[in-house]
Amino acid sequence: MSREEVFRLHGQHALEKPVLIVAWEEDASNLGVRTVDYLIEGLGCREFGEILPEGFFPMAGVNVVDDVAQFPQSKFYISDERNLVIFRSNIPRIGWQGFLNAVLDVAGHDCGVKEIYTLGAMISSAAHTVPRLLISIVNQKEMKEELAPFNIMTGTDYETPPGQKPTLSSYLSWLARQRNIRAVNLWVPAPFYLVSLDDPRACKRLVYFFNSKFDLGVDFSKLDEQIAQQNNKIAGLFERLPELEAFVRRLETGDGLDGEESEKLTREMSEALKQG
Amino acid sequence: MIMKGGPYLLCYNGSACFEAMSIRYIKEPQLVDPVMIASWPGIGNVGLIAVDTLRRSTRAEQLAYIEPQEFFYPNKVIIRGGELVELGFPSSEFFFHRNDRHDLIFFAGEEQPAEGGGVYAAGSRAYALANLVLDAAQKFGCRRIYTSGAAVAPIHHTARSRVWAVPNSADLLQEFKQYANTVLMSDIEGRGGEGNITGLNGLLLGIARRRGLEAVCIMGEIPVYLQGFPFPYPKGSKSVLEVLAAALGMWIDLDIINQLAEQSESELSSLYEKLPHEIKDQLDRLKKATVAAPESSEAITDEDKKKILDDIDKFFKREGGGEQH
Repeated sequence: MSREEVFRLHGQHALEKPVLIVAWEEDASNLGVRTVDYLIEGLGCREFGEILPEGFFPMAGVNVVDDVAQFPQSKFYISDERNLVIFRSNIPRIGWQGFLNAVLDVAGHDCGVKEIYTLGAMISSAAHTVPRLLISIVNQKEMKEELAPFNIMTGTDYETPPGQKPTLSSYLSWLARQRNIRAVNLWVPAPFYLVSLDDPRACKRLVYFFNSKFDLGVDFSKLDEQIAQQNNKIAGLFERLPELEAFVRRLETGDGLDGEESEKLTREMSEALKQG
Repeated sequence: MIMKGGPYLLCYNGSACFEAMSIRYIKEPQLVDPVMIASWPGIGNVGLIAVDTLRRSTRAEQLAYIEPQEFFYPNKVIIRGGELVELGFPSSEFFFHRNDRHDLIFFAGEEQPAEGGGVYAAGSRAYALANLVLDAAQKFGCRRIYTSGAAVAPIHHTARSRVWAVPNSADLLQEFKQYANTVLMSDIEGRGGEGNITGLNGLLLGIARRRGLEAVCIMGEIPVYLQGFPFPYPKGSKSVLEVLAAALGMWIDLDIINQLAEQSESELSSLYEKLPHEIKDQLDRLKKATVAAPESSEAITDEDKKKILDDIDKFFKREGGGEQH
């Protein structure tokens, strides 16, 4: 397949050694895509290109989500002003290496990207009210020092447990290293009871990091509004079902919940927060 | 297989990448009339355990490996102190052993190159991998390939597993008819000589046929009620090894596989004792199922099989058993 059959780019850009932020759909709490959507909208990023789905997604019909037929999308957005590239994509189902090489080709060859940041949520037993950690996995050791001033955990040890697979972000980071492109996988713990819901606090943690590191001039007011709305809904839920507040307080102090309690908290949160 | 670095392959999808797909040879021995024995993970790991036992008992030496990146998603990441240190991929390795009658080449794959989340090989990558395996076989002069796997059958776990042999040429039928405890598809009740072999075990037979190579898939039976569970079934592997020994004309030390089979049967029997009576009664009927008496009133019908599987499924869901949780 030629480049033209794999990806399409629209127009020119004025980027100079930009940063690439990568977000995948199907992430816990929709964290990655919510974060880049906020940046795309807030910074006025424009669509710059896409990776075409053939060869990376099974062309066997469509999924329907919330009554709407879906189709995989893998799009690049750029902000010349902020020197930023964003890649927002469904997770490919086949041809992973070819797909990630296409991302790196657009990033490295067509945009001259110097650094990649991937976003993701990890399911946590912590409460939504505790300050969110930001965890980094770098593909080049020297990046750890550069991240240290941003209050990021940089010392994680991990090995894939038997039966599980590495994340696509790890795979991208590893391929980037082979091209001498620096990459960081950023992870934010997401409370288990918000996994199928939005988590604006986690989103704010990521946006705050990018704003601090790259001086993007982000307006946080909409995110603050979303957090306030979620707080109000949760407060209403606690008023109605005080035992749920007790569950969350226990999580805040590190006491776990049993299976039934966890299930109830997740179910009630889901019903309360999905209401308009 | 841990990949620490090396040149990346600039390719986007199968058709472009296959040119870069390759076998890395570690040794290039002169082999005498070799045969290849290939295996991958599958139901009960019946084939994999059989071939792995033979490979280990012969102390076969590493011969080559297939570059994994174009075929597989990584299976391991190692992070130390916040730095991504290594990424591992499923291995696909060749080994060789010099033997009296035929030298042996083993191929052991850690995964099948599946597409779309499946377990069994399918699609263009599977086809490419199967071709690479046969390239290696032909490079060393192999004229026959054995693949090995499981045959899901209505048998009881206390019964001896038979071996189903499926060759890719009618010329081989007579040979396999003569081996003890071995059946052809036409010997299996209700099949009329027809069936299918999923994944690389089947694909390799087909591609070998196109290349004019003899190939036979030998499958050890596994009880129908164990097919969905992640338990190994070494009893099926033992039967496969016995047939391989006969076909290769070699003595194979069965001590290790005997131990594995006994241990497995003992574990299964202890699990069996915990089953509710109504399920055990159903499964006990499988003790009477034989190939020789398909018309018997005690024979297991498709409806019976479905009921048994449904009951077993319900039992394990209720008990929370099984490693899938």
